[in-house]
Amino acid sequence: MAEETKNKNPEIVGFACSFCTFKASEMAGSLRMKYPEGVKLIQVPCSSRVDPAFVIKAIFEGADGAFVAGCHPGDCHFIKGNYFTRRKIAALKEMFDAFSMKEKLRLFWVSAAEARRFVEKVTGMYNEIKERKNEREKA
Amino acid sequence: MKTGIFICHCGHNIKHTIDVKKVAEYFRKYPGVTVSEDYPFVCSEPGQDMISDSIAKQGLDRVIIASCTPSLHGELFKDLLKKSDLNPFLLRRVSIREHCSWVGDDVETNTEKAKRLILAGLYSAAHYVPLEEKVVDVTKSALVIGAGVSGLSAAAFLSKMGMQVYLVEKEAELGGHVRALNNIWPAGKDGKDIIDEMVRELAGRDNVEIFTSTTISAFEGFFGSYEVTLDTPKGERKLTAGGAIVAIGFSPFDPSIKPELSYGKDKRVITTLEFEEKGNTLKLPEKPRIAILHCVGSRDEQIGKPYCSRVCCINALRVADAVKENYADSYVESFYMDVRAHPRGGEEYFEDTQEKGVLFTRANVAEIVPTPTGVMIRGEDTLFGETFEREFDLVVLSIGMSPPVDNKLISSLLKITLDKDKFFLEAHIKLRPFDTAVKGIFIAGSCSGPKDVEESINHGRASAVKLFGFLNLGYAFVDPFISYVDPKRCSGCRMCEQACVAKAIKYDEEKRVVHVEEAACMGCGLCNATCPSSAIGLKGYIDCMIDDEISAFLEAM
Repeated sequence: MAEETKNKNPEIVGFACSFCTFKASEMAGSLRMKYPEGVKLIQVPCSSRVDPAFVIKAIFEGADGAFVAGCHPGDCHFIKGNYFTRRKIAALKEMFDAFSMKEKLRLFWVSAAEARRFVEKVTGMYNEIKERKNEREKA
Repeated sequence: MKTGIFICHCGHNIKHTIDVKKVAEYFRKYPGVTVSEDYPFVCSEPGQDMISDSIAKQGLDRVIIASCTPSLHGELFKDLLKKSDLNPFLLRRVSIREHCSWVGDDVETNTEKAKRLILAGLYSAAHYVPLEEKVVDVTKSALVIGAGVSGLSAAAFLSKMGMQVYLVEKEAELGGHVRALNNIWPAGKDGKDIIDEMVRELAGRDNVEIFTSTTISAFEGFFGSYEVTLDTPKGERKLTAGGAIVAIGFSPFDPSIKPELSYGKDKRVITTLEFEEKGNTLKLPEKPRIAILHCVGSRDEQIGKPYCSRVCCINALRVADAVKENYADSYVESFYMDVRAHPRGGEEYFEDTQEKGVLFTRANVAEIVPTPTGVMIRGEDTLFGETFEREFDLVVLSIGMSPPVDNKLISSLLKITLDKDKFFLEAHIKLRPFDTAVKGIFIAGSCSGPKDVEESINHGRASAVKLFGFLNLGYAFVDPFISYVDPKRCSGCRMCEQACVAKAIKYDEEKRVVHVEEAACMGCGLCNATCPSSAIGLKGYIDCMIDDEISAFLEAM
């Protein structure tokens, strides 16, 4: 990747639960929906597997954003894993806020059937981050 | 380390937006990569031979297959590794079709993305260790939820093959909606007869237990031994089932959601189901004027039902046919959007009905207004582009199928997903139409989308066959992705013990460390993310694998 384009286009690392969001992303692919190539997924068995350290590492290594995506509350395959995720990410968001980078972290709930929602969420996040980036560059 | 990377073209599916040759070339120079090849169809016989040859000749100890999504052909490639005497957990699948070539159009950026994704697989696979699949006992019993035609046919098959079957029905009577239907098209049998025949078959068997007026209050456990709690009229009942079939059917669309149709306000507006029940007792004039409305509660974006209900066109034709049979001088007009008489013989039946003198008008009906002498239909003829007003003695609404009323309850109890129309979602629409994402739980009949009686029976039987295949072995392999504790690093803080939902983590008072009860561990990895001393790892998803995947996405290339 040429350096200029790399700087312009955000890189987003997503942690996707294999029971819902990863399935939704598969479906989005099969339906030939388009989303930016900067969004790359890491499959995890449950959103609760995501250690906040992974998110921090992704940001440290240069990602412009990171998201954690799991099943809707109450639908967790592991009964209540996503409730733990919700609390962990809420705490992490507080920390990100202290460094004025709250917008770099997102938490979504996407079920296996919601391919469109998945694409909308990631594209929305991507565009928002891209806009902020452009603004900052202009400034 | 000797890694083999195999990149699939998937015909044109991957090749058309990813420069596969360039990707294969790029990885050839990577340290640790012994083979990097691209091939038109890796899943084909010659493709598989290529992989097993490479494993044998080059002595590969990691295999990376960059192709379709891991859930597709997962077992196929696992078996291939097993046949080649390599542990199947040394295989890494990288999805460059669903997650790369199909979601982007630009060849250059897609090629870069594919490189990154494969690199992540390469880094992650470096930490892979051979794992042994866990073997669990499978109880040879099945829970069938819902005793409509599909549930009954599933129960009949399973019990015939010698499985213990628990058939649960919410209503007091078995048979669901079909019991109320008369003269079911095309065979002309009454629904009651079909149901009675099926129930008689079940009643004679010792291995069938039928619970009527029963609901499910809890559903826990894993494939092989689901712990089910039933709420029966005689009190609570607990049982163990190896697998489950969900066949809770549909609920008929309620036309009172559309107030413009005057349903419920005027007795002369009825549904096809009501016509079925009391069609013969209706008091109609000698030369009745009857209107039939198609697509009520189907193909209607405004009320959130964009799907075709598939059965209502035939139902509408049956009503028209019945009226013409009984009243030769009747005036019958059918207002349709499209007539989809799809089952075998449906088109011929449509022609027959037309020949009998039923008038078909392609129209959008705007409203139904009661008048002193009848009911007035106002609408637009969409072929002529004209508005019309006509009076009828009776309006029959051909209602569609709505999702079952208990869909949310069952989906949250069994942890299975609903699709956008709130029917149950299958694991794969073409390749696994009976499975859900949860192992050992199948869906049957119209709870997975509108189906007619014949299709529901077939669907029920097919699900039963698939479940039988799983249960009959008596054991099952489960992915060995469970947690393990490094006792040297464990500080005994017991945070993981509190977090573990499955209560699989036990504290050893003497040694002051925890350990994992392997049989109970569900493999969610919550303990791994909770442990402050990094003493717990989830096999297959350990910290360094995910860390390295992140690095692969972001490091300079």
